[in-house]
Amino acid sequence: MARAKLGKYWVAAIALFAVLGGVVSPSSQAAAPITISIWTYGNVIDPVLVTQYQKLHPGITIVAKKSDLDGNAQALRYALPSSAVPDIAAIEISYMGEFRNYTQYLTDLSTLTPSATTLKSSYLPWRWNDMVADSGQVLGIPTDVGGLAVAYRVDLFKKAGLPTAPAAVSALWPTWDKYIATGQKYVAKEKGKAFIDIAQTIYTAVVNQGAQKYYDNSGNLVYANNPNIQAAFNYTAAASRANLGTNVAQYSPDWNVGLNKGLYATVLAPAWMLEYIKQYAPKTSGLWNVATLPGNAGNQGGSALTIPTHAAHPQEAWDFIRWYTDAAQQKFEFVHNLTFPTVTALYTDPAVGGLKDPFFNNAPIGKIYSASVNAVQPFELGKKDRLIDSTIGQALSRVQLGKQLPQAAWAQALSDINRAIN
Amino acid sequence: MSLRTSSVAPKHKDDKWGLLYVSPFFVIFGIFGLLPILFTVYVSFFHWDPLAGHNYIGFENFRHLFTDPYFYRAVRNTFSIFLISFLPQTILALLLANFLANPNLKGKVFWRTVLLVPWVTSILSVAIIFSELFGQNYGMVNVAMRYLGLSHIGIHNINWVGQTLPSHIAIASMIIYRNLGYTSLIYLASMLAIPRDLYESASLDGASKLQQFRYVTIPQLKNTLTFMLIVGTIGGLQTFLEPLTYGGVQGGDSRQFSTLALYLYEQIIINNKLGYAAAIGVAITILTVIISGVNFLVTRRISGSDS
Repeated sequence: MARAKLGKYWVAAIALFAVLGGVVSPSSQAAAPITISIWTYGNVIDPVLVTQYQKLHPGITIVAKKSDLDGNAQALRYALPSSAVPDIAAIEISYMGEFRNYTQYLTDLSTLTPSATTLKSSYLPWRWNDMVADSGQVLGIPTDVGGLAVAYRVDLFKKAGLPTAPAAVSALWPTWDKYIATGQKYVAKEKGKAFIDIAQTIYTAVVNQGAQKYYDNSGNLVYANNPNIQAAFNYTAAASRANLGTNVAQYSPDWNVGLNKGLYATVLAPAWMLEYIKQYAPKTSGLWNVATLPGNAGNQGGSALTIPTHAAHPQEAWDFIRWYTDAAQQKFEFVHNLTFPTVTALYTDPAVGGLKDPFFNNAPIGKIYSASVNAVQPFELGKKDRLIDSTIGQALSRVQLGKQLPQAAWAQALSDINRAIN
Repeated sequence: MSLRTSSVAPKHKDDKWGLLYVSPFFVIFGIFGLLPILFTVYVSFFHWDPLAGHNYIGFENFRHLFTDPYFYRAVRNTFSIFLISFLPQTILALLLANFLANPNLKGKVFWRTVLLVPWVTSILSVAIIFSELFGQNYGMVNVAMRYLGLSHIGIHNINWVGQTLPSHIAIASMIIYRNLGYTSLIYLASMLAIPRDLYESASLDGASKLQQFRYVTIPQLKNTLTFMLIVGTIGGLQTFLEPLTYGGVQGGDSRQFSTLALYLYEQIIINNKLGYAAAIGVAITILTVIISGVNFLVTRRISGSDS
């Protein structure tokens, strides 16, 4: 009986939708307003800027659907071949190596008016080139870049008898070997404290300093024999074995408490991580400062906006992207969210390049992050970057927890990657 | 119901109307239930990437599945988490239900409502809160153990995520927390349906409360227990959101809490192998059918020998 009743409701509901559809669709076609849909994650789309754009362009409504980084990429994989696509899709750098192979599903922005090629000179060259397909199509405009530096606790450094001024601290670690040696001294003195929050973060930092990552320029997998990957793995394993870090996962609640309690002397921080520290450890204001990364060059993360081929409003989407990634808006985002700009002219702008943050003892963060992203050497992104990143990450976690020795963990990572790819 | 024997309307005209009334269920089940299952079986014979396309590879995915050590680890984890959650949950739920079935209890409605609160909480929020409780350095569980002096017997600062058994216990505790109230209420409902005179005659025969519970309540609940076992096994085979929220899609650095459903999801979201994911889905279905069948046979034999 209940089921039959339910059936009736279904029939009624379907009928209702049919009626509604009949009433609504012609009116929406007749009216001028346009809705631009965006699929995004994290902080890529700033709601304040969206409101501002809608004010500037009455008749345009922007609807942003936010998921997590992996979920967003997964949804896009299914949507792109179909017609159920957003007008704008945000893609993270670790997924770009996959998506840029599918030029049939993403609009070549250089074919739109005005052509994307006219914008090229304004952007950080390597970050721009990440968005260009092998056959030359420009598939996205980068909204931000991570950069990488070392945020450190001035009070803890002082207590351990280490220098506290940023220049002197940066001078402690011109290389990763020196960074690890400093850490060993620190943990020997400060029992029960960690020199770095998570040792595994060293891996990404070192990897992104190389001229090659997992793939060579012709798209062949070379990670197993790439000396820089090997070096990154070994530095990280060494830091783990020397007990420089903790066993918790980054961004876990436990990690947040450690941040507040001053358990970690240093954190490898992309620019957006500084904003995270400000939000989640507000009481540590004034206790931090920022030094350069060992080796100086650094990046972690970064996003871009793309237009799927089957987008309903490509021109309006393109107008929005150009506005949103323009210098003025990127400046706003850096000042408010600390997402670091990709427009190079801003690096010398007093509001960006000259930005100092009282939370971090007035560290010249604009200058530090500009220098770090400018020094990055371009490397080829690849189809399975995300998968290889996370599989090697698992191996490093096993080393950290003492479940495996570095060599065994590396060997298992190689066979795991093989299994997952083939 | 009016029986109009004078009606000349043939019987099968009524059948037609009946079919029409039940058809929404079959249509909807067909579209949303049967079709996806058949399509999953179809996909499992392909190498399938949503962007790059797909090609037929026969039984290759299943051959890979049988030799995949991580699949077997997922099977082990799934059953381990199921057992660690289901057994304590059943015992606790029976005790709670027995307590609530006490006719002299004050504030019955209040207690029943309180019990059901965790059931209406979303799995996600439960998992997030429990991840906080089980943190290694500042989690409440470890801090409580420190205060209880467990460090003197060598138990201290347990890494609840990194190690296999602790991670299973943590995940099982989330499942128990959320299901306990609901399970207790189901047992309570069947306990209340047990005829009171059974208890009266038992107490006349001098049976204690404990003996009454053991020899009257439990046997009378056999059907409910069977039902909960079958539903629990099926639910246990689908454990997904708790481990995902607890420690990510790979279920830990050694896949120490990667369950079957999580392993399937990993193939989709990280490895981009839809065909393989579908093969895992088929394997989960077959496992579920086998286990339900065994459950059914075992319980039928038990109840058959009883009556």
